[in-house]
Amino acid sequence: MSVIEANHLTKYYGKARGIIDVSFQVEEGEIFGFIGPNGAGKSTTIRLFLSLIYPTSGSATIFGKDCIKYGPELRRDIGYLPSDVFYYERMKVIDLLKYSASFYDRDCTQRMYELAELMELELHRRIEDLSYGNKKKVGIVQGLLHQPKLLFLDEPTAGLDPLMQRKFFQLIREENQRGVTVFFSSHILGEVQRLCNRVGIIKEGRVIEIADIRTLQQNNYKKVRVEAPGLDAAYFDLPGVTNLEFHNSTVRFFYKGDINAVMRKIGELTVSDVTIEEPTLEEIFMHYYE
Amino acid sequence: MNILVRELKANLRSLLIWGAIVILFTVLGLSKFSAYAGNPEMLAVLDAMPPAMLAALNMQAFNLTTVTGFFGIMFTYFALLLSIAAAMWGSDIISKEERDKTVEFSLTLPVTRSRLVTAKALAALVNCVGLLLITWGVSLAGAAKYQPDREFYRFLGLCMLALFIMQLIFLAIGIFLGCAMKRYRRASSVAVSLLLGTYFLSVLSSLDQDLDWLKYVTPFKYFDPGMLLRESRLDLTFVGLSLAIILMSMVGAYLTYNRRDLYI
Repeated sequence: MSVIEANHLTKYYGKARGIIDVSFQVEEGEIFGFIGPNGAGKSTTIRLFLSLIYPTSGSATIFGKDCIKYGPELRRDIGYLPSDVFYYERMKVIDLLKYSASFYDRDCTQRMYELAELMELELHRRIEDLSYGNKKKVGIVQGLLHQPKLLFLDEPTAGLDPLMQRKFFQLIREENQRGVTVFFSSHILGEVQRLCNRVGIIKEGRVIEIADIRTLQQNNYKKVRVEAPGLDAAYFDLPGVTNLEFHNSTVRFFYKGDINAVMRKIGELTVSDVTIEEPTLEEIFMHYYE
Repeated sequence: MNILVRELKANLRSLLIWGAIVILFTVLGLSKFSAYAGNPEMLAVLDAMPPAMLAALNMQAFNLTTVTGFFGIMFTYFALLLSIAAAMWGSDIISKEERDKTVEFSLTLPVTRSRLVTAKALAALVNCVGLLLITWGVSLAGAAKYQPDREFYRFLGLCMLALFIMQLIFLAIGIFLGCAMKRYRRASSVAVSLLLGTYFLSVLSSLDQDLDWLKYVTPFKYFDPGMLLRESRLDLTFVGLSLAIILMSMVGAYLTYNRRDLYI
């Protein structure tokens, strides 16, 4: 049984596009990446799952139950970390966490302190005095303290320093190993690639690709830049080469296919500089739109 | 229960501020009244004033030189203060979640929207009752000096009951606006504008006999303190009308809040 199932979910805000005809499934125990640029509809999709907003058409189920009709019941097993964390400003962190914990049947005290210690959270400060990153840490603890079976993470790493990001990813992996299903939305391809099994790519409200992370990487374009004296653009006229640019004896192009073919070509040259790197997310999107 | 307790804590400061306003207002009123009390010259001054003006200030029915008369006049001002507080609490307690964007927290917890509205409505109701008790208490304390008769205490009790119903009306309207309005930032100002609008209608209707029908439109005419004094009872027609408004507002609040998108 799929943990999340979206069936032709469509959301318009008046005339403004939210998402259009989004369908996909997330299986139990997987970390599903949901990537797209800002405004693509990532948060809209998550808010529909949490029935904060209602679809214009289509439906969604979580744990096999309609996410609107059974929303409150389903949310007992859902943890949510929004992209921007807002809490009651005048409350102390500890009071807020206890308040949050009071809505769940199980005793969350121990897990709450564990998580707070892990995230190095100062429990006795007021929410309003916290920095953006520290609010995010409160969000992480609050979203996880009731040991949910399903996690919605909406651009979770924004505001966290690299050390905290690493701890956070470790935490998510551990949760996942305990069987927690994770829906991870991000606009940073790198972190999605590091963590996720499968990804959905959303652009302008539509899911344009759903793929296993490995296939995506295999199919992935490489961004190649070669600088060699007397180089000619036609030299790299291979199958799989696109967006070839030539400027001052430097060639840039995207390549999709067996990387060895390019390596051999480069090997025959006397180069002054070579870079082969992952394209940015934007560049990948450009290819999806060709 | 946890939502109710949290809301009560969060709104305690507001209750204390409104309580202080009511106390200050009553103390100022009483200090003026001490000049009129038992002063026949004051009656002569009032008799010389144009009747329309007295009607507008709701001063026709009362003998301002008695403590009962004084609280008869104060009723209108208490009604305004307490209703404004109720309308603001009602609209704010719902809409602040969206204004402060905390709705993404409070409604992703395992609670139904109805439970949230119920708990918040109760918290606002507790505040209203608290403010009413403060009003009652300060009135009793202020009047004690003039050794009022039993009739006064009955009159004051009826006034408080009438004030409570008016609080409930504007609380319910406020909650409805907080729940229903897409432009949640304006819920409070719309609620208070509506309230002041109906107040001015009530002033208009006392100026002109032809506008008498307005008494059904404006809650400020539902319970006339003059009638409370003369007949020692609330007009049941208007009690019924009040209950209908309260019920409709609350049903509307639950329906719209359950059906609409939350704005984040």
